[in-house]
Amino acid sequence: MGLDMQSSPSATENAKYQKEYCEHHEECLKKIQAVLDGGATEDEKEHFRNNMDHCLHCIKMYHLEKCVKESLQSKIDKRLCPDNLVATIKAKLNI
Amino acid sequence: MSVIMSEEIEEIPLAASETSYSDNERNDIFKREFMPHINSMYNFAFRLTMDEDDANDLVQDTYLKAFRFISSFERGTNAKAWLFRILKNSFINDYRKRSKEPSKVDYQEVETTYNSEEAAEVDHTTDLRIETVQDMIGDEVATALNSLPVDFRTVIILCDIEGFTYEEMAKILDIPIGTVRSRLHRARNLLKDKLRTYAASMGYDTDEH
Repeated sequence: MGLDMQSSPSATENAKYQKEYCEHHEECLKKIQAVLDGGATEDEKEHFRNNMDHCLHCIKMYHLEKCVKESLQSKIDKRLCPDNLVATIKAKLNI
Repeated sequence: MSVIMSEEIEEIPLAASETSYSDNERNDIFKREFMPHINSMYNFAFRLTMDEDDANDLVQDTYLKAFRFISSFERGTNAKAWLFRILKNSFINDYRKRSKEPSKVDYQEVETTYNSEEAAEVDHTTDLRIETVQDMIGDEVATALNSLPVDFRTVIILCDIEGFTYEEMAKILDIPIGTVRSRLHRARNLLKDKLRTYAASMGYDTDEH
């Protein structure tokens, strides 16, 4: 899913070289979400890679978006279909 | 194919051409291509209805329709997306009949809010801490998700819980990919607002600085 962040500098080690506030944060956030969703265009991926080198704000947004997405995937219980419902459907269809 | 009342959403996805299957083929498609998705379908139904009995009815209704209109399904194509689309449309039609939740009104209100110039100036991200989200338990995240208007809840379920691509979501929801992306963006901003508000009410630290 998305792009590998390991090659990008960490927020801590390069913080002094990076801008704290992104004036385009809404547009950048849309691109970050597309990258995380695996649906980004090549232009969006390129913009993402470039931004991750110098925009602390975008790095923070990336990690928060990733965290929220992973929490939705891993923390919310997956409800399983009751066995009796499966049996009922099969019985109604006679299969 | 029109299978429902004219004012309702068409529930069964149109096929380029209908296929005439034998009884054995119908049963085989149902068992091999439809039934493997029943847990995902039930989970989707439960997250939409937030009620076990309604989820049971919705899943049963969807599978019976799928079997009845199986000639509209092209074998070997994306059965999960096809089934999800039927379920989603059944939910909308049933939901509007019951008028339990004013989704359309809520949806439009939130769309308006997030399209406004004022909203564009608001940064929805930096005052919700990663650590706060990491500390939340599943029920807390689920509560925030469940509090979203159904159209926003739906795109997050499809994308983040079920892992559909934008293209698949566009087909399930019958909207352009650009609308999928913008609706997801707004849904996530709203979800983060809910998480931040909930975290603040529970005493989590939500201040970045």
